Amino acid sequence: MPILYAGSTEWYNRSPMTQLSRREFAALTAAAAAAPFAFGEAPSAAVLTAKDLIDRITAQIGVPWKAETVDGLKAGDPATGVTGVVTTAMATLAVLQQAVKAGANVVISGEPTFYAKTDARTPPAPRGPDGGASAAAAPPDPVFTAKNAFIDQHKLVIVRLSDHWRLRQPDPLATGLAQAMGWTKYQVAGDARRYDVPALTVDALAAAIAKNLRASGGIRVVGNAKTTVRRIGLLPGSTPIQASLAQLPEVDAIVAGEVREWESVEYARDHVAAGHEKALILVGRVLSEDPGMQVCADWLKTVIPGVPVRHIAVGDPYWRPAR
Amino acid sequence: MKAGEIIDRIKSHLGVPWRDATYRDTFKTGGPDTEVTGIATTAFVTLDVIRKASAAGLNMIIPHEDTFWNDRDDQAVVAGDALYKAKLDLLTKHDVVVFRIHDHMHAQRPDFTYVGSARAIGLDPKQEDPPGSHRFVIPETTLGALAASVAQRSGSRALRVVGDPKARVSRIRLGVGYASPPINAPDIDVLISGEQQESDGTFDSQPYALDAATLGIAKGIILLGHTMSEEAGMLEMAQWIKGFVPEIPVQLVKAEEPMWGPAAH
Repeated sequence: MPILYAGSTEWYNRSPMTQLSRREFAALTAAAAAAPFAFGEAPSAAVLTAKDLIDRITAQIGVPWKAETVDGLKAGDPATGVTGVVTTAMATLAVLQQAVKAGANVVISGEPTFYAKTDARTPPAPRGPDGGASAAAAPPDPVFTAKNAFIDQHKLVIVRLSDHWRLRQPDPLATGLAQAMGWTKYQVAGDARRYDVPALTVDALAAAIAKNLRASGGIRVVGNAKTTVRRIGLLPGSTPIQASLAQLPEVDAIVAGEVREWESVEYARDHVAAGHEKALILVGRVLSEDPGMQVCADWLKTVIPGVPVRHIAVGDPYWRPAR
Repeated sequence: MKAGEIIDRIKSHLGVPWRDATYRDTFKTGGPDTEVTGIATTAFVTLDVIRKASAAGLNMIIPHEDTFWNDRDDQAVVAGDALYKAKLDLLTKHDVVVFRIHDHMHAQRPDFTYVGSARAIGLDPKQEDPPGSHRFVIPETTLGALAASVAQRSGSRALRVVGDPKARVSRIRLGVGYASPPINAPDIDVLISGEQQESDGTFDSQPYALDAATLGIAKGIILLGHTMSEEAGMLEMAQWIKGFVPEIPVQLVKAEEPMWGPAAH
């Protein structure tokens, strides 16, 4: 049966709640209510601000901070005292709502919050007749307006952490995806993107991914359902053809987030047509990145000990109609 | 008939000036002097399309998309790949001349990719308002019902939808391939297109539609996949070429949908 959202309220409950039980929420909320600024046992502990958090991330991320980066503060006041931190692949409105329920006021997002790489809090200018940006201001947009109002009302701070998180070694997004699949013990030595798993068919692999990542319709497969695969390569996030050219000849199946269809999908299709027993499984960008943001939550707990840190999954953005 | 003669006829019938600056619409294998026995139009020059076209006696392939797995068909990108060499060998063995027609297909009026996609998913041209706008107003329905209809008519096995299935919708904007307008346009309820970057682009329609659904604002996106979106129009392309190349067979040889979706959970 396809998962069909029964309406916006039920839908909203369905996605981020899947990885954070109501009891855990209650525990978090209760802890926050009892001791909203409890940052460790030391009596000298001062309130950690969002700026302090960003500074600690910058100092401890383990890779040089880039001059040009999408990472950094996207919304909110950096002087805000941190009550709790939520990591997520994408700060959707549903994730922000769940973060507030959990007592958190800082959200670390792998992807943009405001629907573009620029991550501006205002909608993009409408396109002019020539297709370029017009001089006219964008009309009010109800989704931008509501999201901004929610952020302001709850005094949320949103920080994007993408460029630098991806550069950490070993690759935290691949590490997280492997953890979510239960493959950590199958890792090929020294390579967080390679796993030799017990042999299984492509359709069994797709079903296992759908189950473990709680997919609702975003998974797509190139390859024959009954082909047996064992050597798995992971390419979470968004990857160009070069990544597939480097990996597919060495593995039986690639599990990727997002590719360009005219590149890697066609490359994989040609492999299959050539008689090679291979497959490419696309799970979607956000769904492939959320386990890596669980890894980010685990790491942040060591960066800001004493501050509640949780991961909240976006859930699969996609569904597929019944046939 | 030589391939160069066919390209000259395409250029003269196009109705818009040929732009020599295009890197897409060029020969990928073979050249103007290749003797052509028949023409296959398709979305992609896949290994299967090469085999099927050759078996049908067609040695000119006119795809809408790239052949060597990158938009520029830069063969330096794939030069070290064994499958690239095998593909090139197959093309050479069958004396195949590949000439891509992409930019000029989209510049042509009508743009056959839109015509074909509307036909394939069951959008009535009479519902396009104004004509040529790629905007269709249909009797109000739900996103779920519309998506089911599109899936059934197109036969897609890997179509994906974002939005609340119960959202009531009537104003559709059709996009093709990787070219989709932003879903936040106030006069669009549903975007139906091929492929769309999920995040971190110039405008991320899927995340926007997710948040719209959380707010109860009716916005939906139906993604057909790149091939399903654009291959239908290669039938119109074949029929058009046939009109001015009557000497040899011209037909659509489908690359077909490359992906399937596992049973939903």
